[in-house]
Amino acid sequence: MVEAYIGIDVGSISTKGVVVDRKFNVLASRYLRTQGNPIDSIRRLLAELGAQVDTGIRILGAGTTGSARRLAGVMVQADIVKNEIITHAVAASHFHPEVRTVIEIGGQDSKIIILRDAIPVDFAMNTVCAAGTGSFLDHQATRLGRPIEEFGGLALRAKNRVNIAGRCTVFAESDMIHKAQLGISTEDIVAGLCDAIVRNYMNTVAKGKEIHPLVLFQGGVAANVGVKKAFELMLGHEVLVPEHFLVMGAVGAAIVASEETDGKGTRFAGFNVADTAFETRAFECEGCPNRCEVIETLRELKVIDRYGDRCGKWSKL
Amino acid sequence: MKASFPNVGYDTYALKTFLEDLGAEVIPAPPNSRRTIELGSLHSPELICMPFKITLGNMLEALELGADTMFMAAGARKCRFGYYHYLQEQALKNLGKECRFIPVTQYSPLDFVFRIMPGVFGVPPWRVVRAVAKMLAKSQLTQEFRQHLNRKMAVDFDGAEQAKPKALAIIEQAHTLREIQAARGEVRRIFNLNGLQPQVRLGLVGEIYFMIEQFASQEIEKELGKMGAEVVFERSLYRHIRHLLSSDPAFVRSERLARRYLQESPGGEAIRTVGEAVHFQKQGLDGIVHIFPFTCMPENIALEALQKLSEDTGIPVLSLSFDEHTSRTGLLTRLEAFVDLVKRRKLGRSLHRN
Repeated sequence: MVEAYIGIDVGSISTKGVVVDRKFNVLASRYLRTQGNPIDSIRRLLAELGAQVDTGIRILGAGTTGSARRLAGVMVQADIVKNEIITHAVAASHFHPEVRTVIEIGGQDSKIIILRDAIPVDFAMNTVCAAGTGSFLDHQATRLGRPIEEFGGLALRAKNRVNIAGRCTVFAESDMIHKAQLGISTEDIVAGLCDAIVRNYMNTVAKGKEIHPLVLFQGGVAANVGVKKAFELMLGHEVLVPEHFLVMGAVGAAIVASEETDGKGTRFAGFNVADTAFETRAFECEGCPNRCEVIETLRELKVIDRYGDRCGKWSKL
Repeated sequence: MKASFPNVGYDTYALKTFLEDLGAEVIPAPPNSRRTIELGSLHSPELICMPFKITLGNMLEALELGADTMFMAAGARKCRFGYYHYLQEQALKNLGKECRFIPVTQYSPLDFVFRIMPGVFGVPPWRVVRAVAKMLAKSQLTQEFRQHLNRKMAVDFDGAEQAKPKALAIIEQAHTLREIQAARGEVRRIFNLNGLQPQVRLGLVGEIYFMIEQFASQEIEKELGKMGAEVVFERSLYRHIRHLLSSDPAFVRSERLARRYLQESPGGEAIRTVGEAVHFQKQGLDGIVHIFPFTCMPENIALEALQKLSEDTGIPVLSLSFDEHTSRTGLLTRLEAFVDLVKRRKLGRSLHRN
């Protein structure tokens, strides 16, 4: 019987899950598209992970992270629900203890985490801009008729990197179109886009932070070799994309779950969540002029979680 | 006279007592809510800061309840807040709202005592002085209440929630100086910690309206308390009034401590923000949370100084700017990550265990 921990990271674009052993070696990992329906993607994820590990495994703890961490935590009865900053830091320092900077760019959020001696000491997350980088790359690949997997490779073949206005995606897209209409090659434009993404990240997210090596680049956008290259050109040193870059958040959630459950036992509901009916609905509380939007999660038509109210009238179940 | 004024957090009680002492019937604005900010934003310039929008919303809601006289802080220095009353008075006129609008200058205590208040209420200056003394005592009481509440929330959140309405009732009912004095002891007793200590302590600094009016910062003190962090602060209406009366030693200290990072005041209370942060760092607090309205120039300058402080000393700093669109979910993620980071740092726990 193998003893293991499970970690789940549900983001806006993708849903990731891993099963790790007691030494945090990845036994199974899955990456699915959230497709705007996290309930469904969490269900599929659990079913596929369950099929991968099959029998002969005992789950000692479960953790969730990502923007749908709360929903995922309620659905699988996770032992811990942790924000994505800490889980990414934890996983990064597990695989590369000498890491001092983590760059994480996902579908919606961008962040930077500064570590010293394997302890996170500072972080920043996109506020007004540098949001939606992953979705934007996805959209541009589709617009140019190239598969997203090959999109970054185009940038590596650039001969003259062209300057693209990167303030926000609306400007970037119209500038890309203008440059294309002038006859500039797609390779040069995509390289320019990668530079613009990096420039925008450095000016809005990493602003004021000192970036020291070792730099790890995690999250879905790390799959894009063009953006990795643009970071290296900007920083002047190597940027490492870790082996499990796509599922680092999930691995971190599993590690934090192991810290938390240490000998306490798990609440984990098992892999058969796929067969359970979940529903989430929202209503506006009319108790006071704040009119809070309360979110309710139901399992088999029974309310199991509520949140969103400021005063606590609904969230205390 | 049916007097009203924009809400200033728990100090609304202190200002109400003050105006009542001078003979006004007070119609307080309803507590700040989503409606207040929607109403205020609708009639405000788009890029003006949140204090303008919320206080204008307060005025509109108070007028609906029958207020006929509106008091608003005024007095321009380097922060544009000092000019807000002109625009707000004009906005109310344009909307056809009738009221007597009284700007109260902050920076001339003599004017306040000898001219403005006697002119409005027809009372001798000594009565104004007496009312100010009482207001100060009450405001000091609300400052202490917040300190006790924040500590209690960090160690026993549910207990703090239960104690809060009791303490607020006591504060509201304390009228004379003697009653206020007695209330201080009672409030302290209500928030007994039973010997428990908070895990981490964070210093809160920033723009004064956000420091006082919890609604603006989405009740950041409560959210941090829920996560087990005690929020320590220096800025309060009490200290602000003491400062206006040139009798606040904490301000002198802040100005001195800030000098290393900010040689000259860029306006507003930025110098104080920086000085308090340095003070908290020297006291050994575990982190600094910096809050201010989006587009606030002085606090954006303070932000740069705080980043330098963080680099020099290693104290974690989280700067948060707010407008009426600030997403609560995003805010909570950042706060949670910050508290986690500070806790892990404090424990010095290595993240990898094998």
